[in-house]
Formats: sequence, structure tokens, C-alpha cells
Amino acid sequence: MESLLVVNNVDKIYGKGVNTLKALDNISFTIDHGEFVGVMGPSGSGKSTLLNVLATIDAPSSGEIYIENDNIAQIKDEQLADFRRSNLGFIFQDYNLLDSLTARENIVLPLAIAKKSVSDMTEKVDEIATTFGIQSLLEKYPYQLSGGQKQRTAASRALIADPKMVFADEPTGALDSKSATDLLEKLSKLNELHETTIMMVTHDAYAASFCRRILFIQDGQLSKELIRGVHTRKQFFQLILDELAAIGGDADDVI
Amino acid sequence: MTLFDIALKNIRRNLKSYGLYIASTIFSIIIYFTFVTLRYSDNIRELEGSSRQVSGIMSGSAFVLMIFVAIFIAYSNVFFMKKRKKEVALYSLLGVRKRSIGRMLFFENMVIGLFSLLVGIGLGFLISQLLLALLMNLMGLNMTLDFAFSLSAVMNTAIVFLIIFLVTSLQGYRVIYRFKLIDLFHAEKKAEMLPKARVVSTILGLLALGGGYWLALEDITTSQAWRILGLAIPLVIIGLTILGSYLIFRSVLVSFLHFFKKRKSLAWKGLNLMTVSQLLYRIRANARTLTIIATLSATTITAGGAVFGIYYNADRDVQAYTPFTFMWKGEAQEIDSSDVTFEASIQTKETRVTQDDIEMAYTLLDYTTFTTLAEQLGWETIEEPAEDELLLVNAIYDERWSPRVDDVALNGNSFSVSEHVTEAILNVSLVGPNVLVLADQQYDSIDAEEEVYQVVDMENYRDHLELSQALSAETENFTSATEDYHYAIETSGALLFVGSFLGLVFLVATGSVIYFKIMIEAEEDKGTYSILHNIGIPKKEMKRSIHYQVGLIFMAPLLLGLLHGAIALFAFSNMLQLNLWIPVLLWMMAYTCIYIIYYFVTVRSFKHTVLHKL
Repeated sequence: MESLLVVNNVDKIYGKGVNTLKALDNISFTIDHGEFVGVMGPSGSGKSTLLNVLATIDAPSSGEIYIENDNIAQIKDEQLADFRRSNLGFIFQDYNLLDSLTARENIVLPLAIAKKSVSDMTEKVDEIATTFGIQSLLEKYPYQLSGGQKQRTAASRALIADPKMVFADEPTGALDSKSATDLLEKLSKLNELHETTIMMVTHDAYAASFCRRILFIQDGQLSKELIRGVHTRKQFFQLILDELAAIGGDADDVI
Repeated sequence: MTLFDIALKNIRRNLKSYGLYIASTIFSIIIYFTFVTLRYSDNIRELEGSSRQVSGIMSGSAFVLMIFVAIFIAYSNVFFMKKRKKEVALYSLLGVRKRSIGRMLFFENMVIGLFSLLVGIGLGFLISQLLLALLMNLMGLNMTLDFAFSLSAVMNTAIVFLIIFLVTSLQGYRVIYRFKLIDLFHAEKKAEMLPKARVVSTILGLLALGGGYWLALEDITTSQAWRILGLAIPLVIIGLTILGSYLIFRSVLVSFLHFFKKRKSLAWKGLNLMTVSQLLYRIRANARTLTIIATLSATTITAGGAVFGIYYNADRDVQAYTPFTFMWKGEAQEIDSSDVTFEASIQTKETRVTQDDIEMAYTLLDYTTFTTLAEQLGWETIEEPAEDELLLVNAIYDERWSPRVDDVALNGNSFSVSEHVTEAILNVSLVGPNVLVLADQQYDSIDAEEEVYQVVDMENYRDHLELSQALSAETENFTSATEDYHYAIETSGALLFVGSFLGLVFLVATGSVIYFKIMIEAEEDKGTYSILHNIGIPKKEMKRSIHYQVGLIFMAPLLLGLLHGAIALFAFSNMLQLNLWIPVLLWMMAYTCIYIIYYFVTVRSFKHTVLHKL
């Protein structure tokens, strides 16, 4: 089966002349359809840069990135927005909800831009809101919602247009553990039932243990890969912790 | 390091983010100072001394400007403070005392104020000269108005603005003491509830506006309201109009936006949802600014329209009563000019007729002469009257009070009037408004002494002042459209100047309020647009949304302002018995054009602010 995402020799260099910083150094990997991949690494290792580059929010300095047959490193700016809207979904640490819109309106936005019919949109919103358990919150404004509710709203928005791939940047970073568990369970259920492909950046081992596979990144390079395989989530969590300890990152820092 | 040092450093380092606030205060000062400079110039003072109208206009405008400037600065300051609350919270968290932070903010604001004051007065002086030159040129005035650097203007401006800055600075103090630390940290994120549309305020708004309009359109001479309220009535009208506008913006606009938002087929299309919500979200602050803009627009339109109307009418009046450039009694004169389009020597007879106990003076013309003159004036052909008929030309006919004349008795014969003409065929000031035209034979048979007149018509009649003066010296009973025109312009010149100047100042003021208001919001909206960008909304959609948002903020007050202006000018034209429709329409179109230019400039800056980093 052809891979959904193919990353070939991607570099990302910040700055010019002597003051350059190589944030990504010759990164290559693939993600298949229906995977739930985590990216872990200490602060400043380049994991957020990687996500931004893959998510087309930032452009790589060199290398190729294919999502199915599109080389996204080559798409022009205006088309990029269209590509992003129809193929990708995003969940951010700080939710990125629009304060002036209700939850329902926030969720429907990507469909509205795609000029879907009203009945279509209504149906889809109800469906996704049920999945994330926020039907009763749809008429509320973001400032009336808790962090977890906001993140579930943001996740609904990311998933409503059935994207080929969902990028999540520290989605649980600002959530308490119950809300975090809630969200992660929903995401992994979606991944199992609908084969939604998800790539999640996190430095939280607990969050990472929900993934099927984990890429470790260090100083801009891929350093290690962990696959959950037949392990239970708890066992996998222990494996991740062991790995983090082995890398020598401050274990205190990652939990 | 003292707090004063920190305050100074803050300003120096953050000049860019303070930029918009400083720019808007400087702008207000420039506008106010320019106006005050005009007010304290010798010529205007003289004029104010001699005319109560002018001094009324001036002090009224000064008041409106002052209020406008104060509200505008307070508004900018609120936004500015909102941005800084987090910083304040940080100081507080680090253990700086409230009193010290308050003092620091106070210093900071006062330093900004003084700086703006210096720059504003300097620039204001230059700009007032520029506006003056522009205006003189536009109006073709040869008046010597000197805009000397006036110390009293500086004092006036300094005092007004120091008070404004003092108040806004104290506002800073209040912020520190009233809010809790946690609020300060969340200040930027704190969201307001969306406003609800209220039926009561819609009705009240319509009532206030209707009342204001009704009062404005009352006939002064017969109105009960005018008798009761007297001279306070203009203030009542202005007050009602402003209140009405505010309530209407607040309620009608909100209802409209809510209605739109509920129609999913409309709202759930592209970024419409965001556009509407964004507008709704700010409607409270918006209603206030929209009211200011509508009021300013109305003032500009009214001042400009009235001035332009008087101007326009000067030309029309001259042409109406002095149709030929030159006309005099007696011998022909040599005129050496290529602009002469018509020259004729005509004969008339004069007669007096008693009708209904009133003795009327008539000038008699024969039909051939009349036709020659009428052709030159571009009239349609009028048929020759029969033997017992005549044409009656009355240049000052007004159906409201001029008696209708159907028969005229001449030399004992009665002539019936075959046609009434209500335009002047000859210069009224020389031969009077009433002219009778008889068939050639009938004219010859009238027994009266003949007079000889010379009639000359010129191209560009306004430009022959020298020739006119030369002819005037050579002849007796000389009438000249050129001189009439110049006389009309000069007598009302100063008034015209004041009016146009006010129009110009308010035009600039209106544009800058909208501009700065929208730019301040653009700064706030940066985050929203980067979110939209992140979730893959194309820039094209965002640009469209910006066009709509800015468009509504521009259009709503323009429409209401035009309506206010139209009513005011209608009242004005009733009062002065002037026909102002054409000049007013022209002026409104000109105003709308300038306004549209403002719109495009603002949209451009807005797009640049929120989109260029994406």
C-alpha cells in the first residue's frame, strides 16, 4: 500500500550567514493510511518545526514532502491554503478558536469556506459533536467553555471536513489530566474506527502512549522509533518512559 | 533607575507598538490646532465681531471639534490600555506597588501627550498654511487672510489637550486600582457578550431621529415648537439627531446582523459568519464611533453643501437677473475683445400702467428685437403675439405672491397676455423686471419716448472685470454681470471661507477617525487572522471579509450622515429661500467620492496589518 505521507531528506535552516540554526537535519520517514503517530523530543529538538513544515504552515529549506501524490514543498501559497483546507486538519495547544463565534460556528467554518450546503453542514456538525460529546455546548462561546471543552471543539473543527491527515501540536499541553485522557481516547477511537491518520507532537509520555508508533527527535534528527505493536497502553507508556530515560532527557521534564 | 526612567524607556523601545496611539493623538491635535489657528486669525476675529452668525458657527464648531477630539483620544486610550494590562500585571506580580505603577503609567501618558502636543502644533501650523493655500486656490479668492502663528491658538490647544491627557492619564490610575491581578492578566482575552437587539431602543431611536427631523423641517415663522423653545432649538435638533443615530446604530444594526447570522444559507457561506460576528462583537464600541462619524459626515455635508450652494446660487442669481454681460443706456462703445459673442443696440419704450390701484412700470420691446435677444440667450422660439395680444416677461415672478396679470391696458387699448415668461430678457437692474413684448406694428403705434440701450454678451463673463470697469467709467447707467458676480462673492467671501474651511477640517477629521479606529482594531485582529490562516482559510476569503467589515463601518454612517445632511440643507434652503438641490447633490457626490478613497486606503492598510506576516 502506498504511504499517505512521505518525507524525504527534509532540512530546515533558520537565519542567514554565520548565525544559522539547523532545526531539521536530513529527516526522512513515512506515515501510512490510518496510522496514529507521535513525535516526541525535548524542548528545542525541532519537533514543532517538523510539524509546522509537514502541516505547510512553514516551508522546508530543502527536501521533499509528499501527501499522497502532492509534493507540498512545491505548492504555491494561494493553492496551499486550499490544499490545507481540503486535506489537513489541525489541533493546536492554544485551541485557536475564534472568540466571536459560537462552538457550532467555529466547527462549521471549514465547511462554510468549502461552500457545502446548509443541510450537509448541519448534519456533519451534529455527527462530529456527538463523537466528541459536545452537543450541549454548541451554542456557547469559547470564553464560556473550559479548556477541555475548547480542545474538543477545536478537534471537531479539525475533523469535520474528513481530512486525509490531522496534525496535533501538543493538544493536551494546556489540559488537566482528565480532559487530556478524554480527548486522547476520542482521538484514538476515531483512529481505530474511521482510520483517521493522526500525527501528534507531544512531550508528554502519557499522551504519547495513545499512539501506535512514536518517532523520537533530537537536535533536529530522528533518533529512535518505538512501535506499540501488541503491547497494552500501560506497557507502552512504560516503554516510552524507559526510552526517554535512556535518551537522557530529564525525566521530570517530560511528565 | 526611577519609574520615570522606566516610563521613558518604555516609550522609546515600544515606539512601534505605541505608534498608532501616538499617531492618533497627534492627528487630533493637528486638526484642532488648525481650526483654532483659523479662529484666532485677525480676519476671522473681525468677522466674528461683526456677525453673530459667524461667531455662532465658530464657537459651535469649536465645541463639536473639542468633543470629537476628546472622545476619539479617550477611545484610543482605552484600546491602548487594554494592550498594556498584561505588562501592568507583570509589574504588580513582581511586587511593584500599585501607586508606583499608577504613577509610571501617568508619567508615560503625559510624556506621550506632551510629545504629541509639540509635534501636533508644529505640523498643525504647516498644515493650516497648506489648507489655506489650497482653499484660496480652489475658491479663486483674492483675499489676504494671514494665518500668523498665534500664541493664543497655541495656548488654547495646549490647555484643551492637557486637560484631555490629564483625564486619560488618571484613567490609567483607575485601571490599576479597580482591577484585580487576575483580570489584568486576562484583559486581552476577556470577551464581551454579544449584544442583543432591543426593540425599545429601536423605537426610541426612530422617535428621536424623527423628532429631530420634524423640528428641523418646521417653518420658523409659524412653528409652535420654535416659539416655545426659541433659540435652543438648533441644540435640541442636534441632540435628538445624535441620540437617534446612536440608538439606531446600536439596535437596528444589531438586529440586522443577528438576522443575517441566523439565516444559515447566508451566514454559513465562506467567511460571512466571521464577518458578521466580528462586527457584532464590537458593536458597542462601534455604535459610538459610527455615531461620531455620522455626525461629522453630516456636519461636513451641511457646511460644504451650504457654502457650495451659496456659491452656486451666486452664479445662478447673476445669470438670472443679469442675463447679458454688459448693458448700458446710450451710445455704443468700442470693445476690443475676442470674447464678445453678441453686440446689439436696441430701442425700448417705457410706460406706466395702473392696475388694481398699483402703478407698474413696464419696458416695451418689439417682437423682432425680443427674438434677437431670446435667440442669444438660447430660449425656445415664442410666437409673435397677435394684434390684441402681448408677451409678459416678469423676471421676478413668484407664484406665491406675484399677482397674475392677464390683461394690460396700453394707450387705452386692452391687450390680453398670450404668454407669460418668467426669465429676464434684459438686465433687471437697468430696465426693471417687467417687460412687455408687442408685435412690431403695435409697438410702433405706442406713443412713448424711445430709449437706446447697448447690449453685449461675452464668453466667460466672470473674467472681464477690467473691461467692465473701463466701460463703467465711459458710460452712464451701466450694468455688468461680471461686477455683480464679484460683488456677490466678495460680500459673502469670508463666510464662504469659514464654511469651506470647516468642511475641509471635518472631512479630514472624519477620515482619520475611521482610519485610526479600524487600524486599532486591525492590531487586535491579527491573532484572529493568523488562526484563520492556520486552519487553511485562503487569503482571498479573508480579504473579502475585510472588505465587507470595513465597508459596513464606512457605509452605515455615510448613509445616515447623508440623510442628516439632506434634511439640514433642506431646512436651510427653506429658511433662506434658496434652491439648493443641485449644488447639494453635487457636493454629496464629491463627499462620497472622497469618502470612498478613504475606504480604499483603510482597507489597504488593514490588509497589510493583518495579512502581510502570514
